[in-house]
Formats: sequence, structure tokens, C-alpha cells
Amino acid sequence: MANFNVNLRNKESVSVIDVKGYLDAHTAPELENVFNKLIDEKQYKVVVNFDDLKYISSAGLGVFMAYIETMRENNGDIKFSNMKENVYNIFDLLGFPLLYEFFKNEEDAIKKFLES
Amino acid sequence: MSSYQNNSALRNFSALVDFSNLINSSLDLNFTLNNILLTCLGKFHTTKGMIALLNEENKFIVKASKGISQKIIDEFPAIFSFNYDIDEKFSEYLTKNNFQVYQEIKSTEGLKGLILLGKKLTNQEYDKEDINFLRTILNVGATAIENSLIVDKLKKINRQLDSKVNQLSSLFDLSKEFSGLLKTEQIAKLLVLSLIGQMLVSKYSIIISENEKSIFLENNFDKEILIKIFSQNDIKKIERPLVNEELAKTFQDLINVGVEIIVPMQLKGETKGLIVLGKRNNHLDYNNSDIEFISSLGSLAIISIENARLFNETLEKQKLEKDLETARNIQKNLLPNKIPTSEIFEIVAFNKSAKMVGGDYYDIIKLNNEKILFAIADVSGKGVPAALLMANIQAFLKSICKMNLPLDESTNLLNDLVAENTSNGSFITFFWGILDEKNKTLTYVNAGHNPPLLIRNKEIIKLKKGGMILGVMQTIVPYQLETIEMKANDLIVLFTDGITEAMNKNWEEFSDERLEKIVTDNNLLSAKNLLIRIQDEINNFTEGAEQSDDITSLIIKVIK
Repeated sequence: MANFNVNLRNKESVSVIDVKGYLDAHTAPELENVFNKLIDEKQYKVVVNFDDLKYISSAGLGVFMAYIETMRENNGDIKFSNMKENVYNIFDLLGFPLLYEFFKNEEDAIKKFLES
Repeated sequence: MSSYQNNSALRNFSALVDFSNLINSSLDLNFTLNNILLTCLGKFHTTKGMIALLNEENKFIVKASKGISQKIIDEFPAIFSFNYDIDEKFSEYLTKNNFQVYQEIKSTEGLKGLILLGKKLTNQEYDKEDINFLRTILNVGATAIENSLIVDKLKKINRQLDSKVNQLSSLFDLSKEFSGLLKTEQIAKLLVLSLIGQMLVSKYSIIISENEKSIFLENNFDKEILIKIFSQNDIKKIERPLVNEELAKTFQDLINVGVEIIVPMQLKGETKGLIVLGKRNNHLDYNNSDIEFISSLGSLAIISIENARLFNETLEKQKLEKDLETARNIQKNLLPNKIPTSEIFEIVAFNKSAKMVGGDYYDIIKLNNEKILFAIADVSGKGVPAALLMANIQAFLKSICKMNLPLDESTNLLNDLVAENTSNGSFITFFWGILDEKNKTLTYVNAGHNPPLLIRNKEIIKLKKGGMILGVMQTIVPYQLETIEMKANDLIVLFTDGITEAMNKNWEEFSDERLEKIVTDNNLLSAKNLLIRIQDEINNFTEGAEQSDDITSLIIKVIK
């Protein structure tokens, strides 16, 4: 059974979601729960740290599509950081770089939020 | 050869070697074209140059330029490989923009493109040596361009392959996941996530057709408009994916709310639902491969949705059966398990519940040493509600008996109680009577029940006196009772419509006439034997066809 783990932490005014393992159709609802929680708490500035993510399927990608509008409508965003090449390739293949910002590391992504 | 010429040849040669090394060091097309142009500009002392390559339709497309405004690039004429050199548009373009020379770029596979160069700064014409040198550069360059083009093409194919692999792995992922889900909502949710993730869309609707109705499982389009459109148009008639012009032709209103594609979800060739999507946020159109993917995903989802529906239906059926079982038990417990005996009257009763549990009820209660009360009723509706209403009736009946009121007044009261305690238009056809052993009389009230038959010497008297059905409204017109003196061998046959409306396989009813004939023909039988006779006749008539209603009969015979 593929493993997935999601952890939420705060850095300054930004919420950082660490995703770990396999984000697929089976585990996508776990990530959705985290986003729902953030919206409940009115936390709209989100960095997703992909450092430990091994695989992402379209259902996993769909979660980011499902919440991006809400975040942006509330002056927030979902930014991505620390993505491994194989994971980035999937994002790239489907055209995500047109719509989302990708950062080498988490700090840069957070900095971008704080600057704006 | 003069030393000047020598030097020049040497310089040309070393420039060529440099150039060759440089452009063959990269497979990037832009880098290659850029360097060809820069080398030419440097060599011929001109400030502008342009390279146009042939596309798949053999049309020249500007791919690189130096020192040329975007406007001039945009004005590049539509010229083709087979006739560009005699096309006036091309010569006009050269003259107008001061291009002094142009040269074909040819690889071993033929014409690849054109290079256009501007005037020399020195204002000299390009001489023969210049043209030769240009040709040499282009010969070397053509191979590099060819290689770059092939690499570009491979990259593109690779990406398409990657994309296909990615779509396949998504399908695999989902087929695994869907099979474990039994809730339609969850399946639809997952379908949406996968679609918006794979297609990069933010507007979607998942609609399924159930019992001729369109159900919106997921939607973030303007729902009212979609509801309107899909209530006017049968979604089952959408048998192919609709995009672009075809979509506009059929559903212009959908285009207006941002719909770009409709893909039917089909099961065994029948459309069971629709996937409706808005524009892709990566500004790409839906290509055939995308449509195939959406279709496959839709098929997977609809199979799972169908399975979930069947599962829930089975569950519902099991629940219903349990419900019926409960109702049947309630009903069974309500019927008397022992019939009071009498020296004057022989009383027998029979009840057979239909599979769906109707609402027949009968009761026989000994009131005192002289009086026996009997009742027969048919409660409207079936299942637990009918059984509960029946239980109410029984409770009312028993308490009213204790009050020792005349039967008509009791009926008034009973009707009020039932009317108060029933909702949603339930009603009861009801007949009850009191047999008086001492005076040998029958006193009865008929509240809308099929009139029982009193058979006396082969004559039938229908016991109709009473009033309206119980439970329709509070008693306004009081019920009336009738008392009849009973004679030896009189028969009273009470029944519910389950008997007269018993159906055979040809949808014919047993009928009142048939029942009346049996009872008059057999008026000498005992109550018990007459009841058996009636049962036999019904069984012969229905030939085992399953009956939808309860069958109840109560027969009283005056022994002496």
C-alpha cells in the first residue's frame, strides 16, 4: 500500500504544507482536508513543500486546481517548492508552470509572499 | 596568388572551421540559426538578416532575424517552396525592405529554408566570392538545422508520449480507486479532481441521468442555465463528444456560460451521464488525445457509479424486505389466534397475507356470555404504516368495546379517532357486528366495507347499512345500525376485496358474481367447509398467480 503523509505548519503568516510519499486518487482527499481546514481558518497564503513527495497523479494535481481560485480571490496563492525533477516533469507536462509559481526552496516561496 | 588573396582565403577558411565547430556543438535550433545569421552579418558587414524555414505545409516561416523590426517580420509574405522564386510578393518584399541577396538552405533531404541578407555597409554589391562563401556556410549550417529540427521533433514526440503515459497512469490509478468506492458522491468528486488536474480546468459539471431525470453530482457552472438546457434536451441523445463548432451549433447557450466541451459517459453504448468542462487554463484546445482520455475516465466513473447504484438498490431492497417482515409480524400478532366458540353460531376465519403486506384485519371478541363482536377491515396502503394503523384500530376497538356503547355510537367514535390519528389520506373500510346468542340477532354497522352477504334460503341480502369509510373526516353524519333476526342455517359471509379482485394470469378478476354464486350454490355446507370451498375456488381461478392484496374471509353460520 502506497503511503502518503501530509503535515501543516506555519511560517510567519504563511502556511506550509509538507507532502510526503504518494499523492494519488486514494490519498488526494487527505490533502483536500488540509485545504478545507486552511479555508476555514482563513489562511490563504500557502506553500506546498514537495521535498518528500515521490509521485503525484492527476487527482493529486486536481486538488491544487480545486483550491487555487479560492486562495487567489482572497489575496492568497498556492506556491510550490522543493520539487524533485520527476514530480516537476508531471506538472510541466500538464502546463502547470503557466499558472503556478515554482520555487527551488521553501524560503524563497515564503519570501515572495512576504514581499507582496 | 597574391598574399592579400591568400590571407583572405585563410581567414575565410578559419572562420568556416570555427563556424562549423560552433553550430555543430549544439542541437538547439535557435542557437544554430542565430549563429548562422551572426556569422553572415560579421562576414558581409551587413546589419540585417533573416532566416525562414519551411513548415509542414511547405510554407516559409520566419524563425530567426537580426536588425529587423517586428513589423517587417510580420509582413513576411505567404510564400511556398514550389513557387516562391517567381512569386511577386516575395520580390516586392525584398525590394521594399532592402534585402540584397537571398539564398536557399538545402540539406541532403532537400530545401529547408531561405536566408535573406541586407545591404553591405560598404555599399558594395555581393560578389561571386561572397555568394560562394555564403553557400558554404549554408551547406554546413543546413546539416545543423536538420539535426536541430529532428531533435525538436523527437522532443515533441517524446512529450506526447510522456503525456500519453501520464494519462494512462492516471486512468490506472483511478480504476483502482473507483472500484473500491460505493458512494456516488465520492466517485464524482474523484472524477472531478482528476479531470481538473489533468486538463487544468476550473469549470466543470458532472451530470448523470437517473429515472429520466438529470442529476448534478458536481457543478460550478451557472446551474440554473444548465438545468434548463438539460431538462429540455435529453442527455441520452448526446452520443459523441461535442466541441467547438459542433457544440456551438447544438448548445449555444452553454458556450455563453463558458462550456467548451461535453463528453458523454457511456455504459454499453448508452449515455448515462455527461462530463461538461470549461476552457483549459493553459490556453490549449482539447485535442483528440484529451477527448479520448476524458471519455475513458468517464467510462470508468460511470461503471463505478452504476455499481454503487446497484449496491445501494440492493441495500434498499434488503431494508424494505426487513420492513415488510416487521409489518407482517405486526399484522400476524393482531389477528386473533383463537376464535371464540358458541353453541348458536359457527364462526370461521381465514387470512392470507400478500407478499407486499396489505392491510386486512379481522377480529372476533367475546363480549360477555351472550354477545360476540366480530369485525373485518381493510386499511388503505401497505407495509409498516398500514400495519401500524391496523394496530391502532385494534386498540380503539378493544377500548370501545369496554365502554358498552351501542354499535352506531361506537362507530361514530371510532371514526373520529381514526380521522384524528391518520394523516396523508389513509382510510379504512370497516364492518363490525354483534351476534346476540340469547335473542339470535345480528346488529351491525357497515363503514364503507364490501357489503357482507347474508344467505338465507339461497337468497342474498347485502349488509349495507352504516355510513362512510372510516378516517376520511370527523363524523358529521352519524352511522346507522341495523339489527336482523337470525334464522337457522343463515350464513353470513364477510370478505375483503382481495377475494373479489383476485387476479388470474389473464388479468381477470374473481368478481362478486363468482363469489355470490359459490355461496348460494353451497349454502348447505358448514361454515368451515364453505370457507374451504371458497379457498379452493380462488386457487383454481388464480392458478398460483401471485396476489398483490391480502385475502381475508370470515364466515358465520347459524347452527340452531
